[in-house]
Amino acid sequence: MRKNILRKKSGQEEMVGFALIMIIVAVILLIFLSFSLRKTEKETVESYEVNSFIQSFLQYTTDCRDNLEYLSIQKLIFDCYDKDKCIDERETCDVLNSTLKDILNESWKVEGDRPIKGYKLKIIIDESEEMLIIKKGNVTKNSKGATEPFSRAGKDYEIFFNAYY
Amino acid sequence: MKKRQKSKILSRSSLMSQTKGQLKIQQMAFMLMAVTLFFVLVGMFILVFRFSKLKESATLIEERNALLLVTKLANSPEFSCGESFGSSRLNCVDADKVMKLKDNIKKYSEFWGVAGIQIRKIYPDNGNIKCTARTYENCGIIDIFSKNVNSLPPVSNFVSLCRKDSYKDEVYDKCELAILMVSSEDKE
Repeated sequence: MRKNILRKKSGQEEMVGFALIMIIVAVILLIFLSFSLRKTEKETVESYEVNSFIQSFLQYTTDCRDNLEYLSIQKLIFDCYDKDKCIDERETCDVLNSTLKDILNESWKVEGDRPIKGYKLKIIIDESEEMLIIKKGNVTKNSKGATEPFSRAGKDYEIFFNAYY
Repeated sequence: MKKRQKSKILSRSSLMSQTKGQLKIQQMAFMLMAVTLFFVLVGMFILVFRFSKLKESATLIEERNALLLVTKLANSPEFSCGESFGSSRLNCVDADKVMKLKDNIKKYSEFWGVAGIQIRKIYPDNGNIKCTARTYENCGIIDIFSKNVNSLPPVSNFVSLCRKDSYKDEVYDKCELAILMVSSEDKE
């Protein structure tokens, strides 16, 4: 009788041990599977995109001309700060504002079900003076942003751009 | 008599304990075989899983290559403005250089290891007019090359597309906003 009970007990212990081994192996397998199934998700907006966007639009040649040449956006920012006019008497600040709005509209479309929900562009002078701000769409929790600093005649200019998705 | 009985009982019990031991050894052997078989099966499962993902990872590598390429392509000697437009600029593509590259693309088609490269003007938007020597000034797309393979959606980057233009016999630098698109081959 006692022998039978002892045999039963040792059999049960072995079964418990085997079950434990199986559970441990299953857990290891599950961890491995979850690691291998994890996919690298592609970002809606990459950091390099916002960075290169600022660098590229600063070089854009506008239709505002001074006595020498057609002005780029960067030169237009300087002229706007100096309250200069184009050769055709338009205000450089107006040209800057409208050109930037058009560029942003074409580059970052936010209407409908597009992945980009909104954007904000700011031009700051000497870290405090807000020269221009253009906003469109919604501000969401996810965003990618970049800044581009440059200077002229002792003035520090900084462009901030944020794309929300 | 008693001695005989005793020796009989002893030999019987030793036989029983021997068979018990053998059974235990057998049990152990079976257990070891089962565990080994289990791990072999798990190993085979992992191998099959890995090999099935091989094509997917090849495509992923191609895609990553395209992503890395698009960030540095505009500043490579084949595309960059250099100092043609005054000082050296970042993310500036020389449109004149690119048009010449397009004409001699046979020498370069395998150079970047991607399925296609295209430049699309976004501001001003000139639509889908392909750039040729005739339509050069008012075109919208410079199709540098595209291989006849299954390709993934392109990765893109903003660039400034610059060229020499003229106004009243005066030559000036004209830069427009464009996106440089690189598409990689879909290996799946």
